[in-house]
Amino acid sequence: MSDNKHHAGRSHEEHLREKHLMLDPLPRGQMNDMVMESMLAKPTWKFWVIFGFLAFVVVYFLFYKWGVLIAKGQGEAGVMRPDYWGIFLVNTVFWIGISHAGTFISAILRVFRAEFRRPFTRAAELMTTFGLVQAGFSIFMHMGRVWLAYWLMPYPNQRLLWPNLHSPLTWDLLAITTYLLSSTMYLFLPLIPDVAMARDRSTGWRKNLYKILALGFRGTEGEWTHLRNAMNIFAFAIIPVMFSVHTIVSWDFAAATRPGWNSTIFGPYFIVGALHSGMGAAAVVLAVIRGTMKHMKYFVRGEHFDAIGKLMLIISMAWAYFFFNDYMVQWYGGDKWTQQLLHFHEAGPLGWMWFAMLICNVAIPWAILWNPKWRATPWAITAVGLAINVGMWFERYIIIPISVTINRMPFTWRLYQPGIEVPMGIGTLALFILLYMSASKLIPLIPVWEVQEGQMAHELKKFGRETVVSVSELE
Amino acid sequence: MTESKPVDLLAVFSDLEPAANAIEHLRSLGVHDDCMNVISGIPVTEAMLGRPHQWTNVPRIAMGGAILGFGAGFFLAFISPYIYPYPIQVSTQAFTPGPPTVVVLFELTMLGMLLSTFLGVFLDSFFPNYRPMKYVAEVSDGKIAILVECPHADEKKISDALKKMGAESVKLAEAQHL
Repeated sequence: MSDNKHHAGRSHEEHLREKHLMLDPLPRGQMNDMVMESMLAKPTWKFWVIFGFLAFVVVYFLFYKWGVLIAKGQGEAGVMRPDYWGIFLVNTVFWIGISHAGTFISAILRVFRAEFRRPFTRAAELMTTFGLVQAGFSIFMHMGRVWLAYWLMPYPNQRLLWPNLHSPLTWDLLAITTYLLSSTMYLFLPLIPDVAMARDRSTGWRKNLYKILALGFRGTEGEWTHLRNAMNIFAFAIIPVMFSVHTIVSWDFAAATRPGWNSTIFGPYFIVGALHSGMGAAAVVLAVIRGTMKHMKYFVRGEHFDAIGKLMLIISMAWAYFFFNDYMVQWYGGDKWTQQLLHFHEAGPLGWMWFAMLICNVAIPWAILWNPKWRATPWAITAVGLAINVGMWFERYIIIPISVTINRMPFTWRLYQPGIEVPMGIGTLALFILLYMSASKLIPLIPVWEVQEGQMAHELKKFGRETVVSVSELE
Repeated sequence: MTESKPVDLLAVFSDLEPAANAIEHLRSLGVHDDCMNVISGIPVTEAMLGRPHQWTNVPRIAMGGAILGFGAGFFLAFISPYIYPYPIQVSTQAFTPGPPTVVVLFELTMLGMLLSTFLGVFLDSFFPNYRPMKYVAEVSDGKIAILVECPHADEKKISDALKKMGAESVKLAEAQHL
C-alpha cells in the first residue's frame, strides 16, 4: 500500500517535471549545446526552398514594386478621393500591433515575474523589432516621395521649416522612432550573455560575429549588475512607451472629426487590438519554432502554449468589450453619418469582412481557448493565432479604407480598390518571415541564462502529502 | 622590504555554495574584497556570494538622459515654433498648446532615458572591449569562477585554500582574446 502511494507520488513529481521546463533542469552546458545545435543545424532543402521563395517575394513584390511606385507615382496605388489612406496604413497599424507582443511578453511579464515567459522572451522581442521594420517600410510606402523622408526630422535647415509638432502624424514619428530604438536596445541587452556563450563555442566567421556582438562580455559581477539594472529600467520604462505608440497611432484617426473615428476610447481599444494580434502572432511563431527547430521541444512546452492561450483569451474578451463599447456609443449617438457608416460596415459590399472580423477575433478564440487541452496543443493555438491575425487585419481595414468611404459629402463616396499595395503588403509579410528565419540561424533564440536562472529558482516542495511547485525570488 | 609582484589566480567552482564559502575563506586569509572578482554565466547577486554591494551608475546616467531628453522635447515643443519664419497656428489652439506638448515631452524624455540607460551599460562595463582579458569559457557552462589578485608570495597559500574549498581547478589567470 505505502509502496503504491510512494509510486503515485513519484509519478506526480515526474509529471510535474515533464510539464514544467523550470522543474526539468539540464546541465547548463547541455542546454548551451542544444541551443547552439538548433542554430547551427544544417538547413534542410525545405528551409532553402522557403527561404528562396520568400527572398523572391521580397525582391519582386516589395522592392521592385516599390521602385515602380516611386517611378510611376502614387496613382499605382488605389488611393484616391475619398480613400487617401489605404492598405499601406492598414499594414502600418497591423505591424505596430504585432510589435506589441515582444514588449508585452518581455517587459510586462518580466515586471510581474511570470516565470513561463523565460524561454520565449527573445522570440517575442524579435517580433517587435522586425514588426516595427515592416511598419516603418509601410509608412515610407505611403509617403510616396520617400527620399524626402528626412523632412520629418526636426533639424535646422535652409528652408527654415520645422515639423508641425501639433500634428498627430509628427507624434507618430517621435513615438515609433522611440519604440523602435528602445525595443532594439531591449532586444540586444539580454542577448549579450547569450552571444558571449555562442562566442565561446564557435569558430570562423561566426566567432568573429559573436565576438563583436558580445562586446567583450565575461559575466563579471559588475557587468551583471549594470546589465540587470539596465534591464529593469527598460522593463518598466518601455511599457508606457508601448502604450503611447499605439495610442498615438489611434489618435491619427481619433483626432479627426470623421464619423467612426472621433472616439475617446480609440487609444485603449487600439492597444488591446495590438496585444490581441501580437499575442496571436507570438503563438504562431512559437509553434513554428518548436516544430521546425532542433531541441525546441525541450524549451517550448505545452505549458507555454497554455499560458499564452490564457492571455489570448483574456485579451480577446477585452477586445470584444472595447469593440462593443465603441460600437454602442456610436450607434446610440444617432449621428446621421455615423449611422450610415455603421450600416455600411455591416451591410455594405464588404460586410462579410465585418462579420469575419468578429468570428476571427471573438468566436474562434472563445470557442477553442476555454479548453486547457486545446490551449496546450500547438497546432490548435496556431490556428487561433492565425485567425486572430486575419481578424485584426480586417479590423484595421474596416477602420481605415472602409470607414473613409463614408463621409459627410456623399458625392465623394467611393469604395477603395487596392492596387500595387496588395503585393507590396505581401512583400512586408515575406520580409518579416525572412528576417525571422535568418535570425534563427544567427542568434540564440532561447535566452539560456534566463532559463537557467529560472530553473535555479524553482523546486518541488512537499506540503503534507501534496507536492507543489515553489519559486524563490533570486533577485 | 620589497613587495612581491601580484599574480591573478582563477579558480573554477561547479556550484554557488562552495564559491560563496571560498570567498568567505579568502577574506579570512586577508584577501580584500577589491582583490576578488566573480565571473558567472547567470546573474548571481552580491548577497548570495556574500560580496559587497556592486556600484552602478546606470540609474544615474538614465536620469541624466531623461533630463536631456526632456530638454530636447522642451526645445521642440516650446522653442522650435518660434524659429519657424511663418508661425503655424492650428485652429484655435494656443501657439504652444498643452496636450500636444505633453506628447512631445513624454516621448523625448523616454527616448533620452532609454538611450542613456543603454549607453550607461557600455560606459560602466567598458564595452566594447576587445582587448585580451582574464576569462574561462566554462563560466558560460554554468561554472562560477573567482578571480583573485594576490601577492606572488601568497600564490601557493591561496591556491591551496581555493582547492580545499572545492575549486575544480585553480590556475594562473592569463589574459586572452575572447
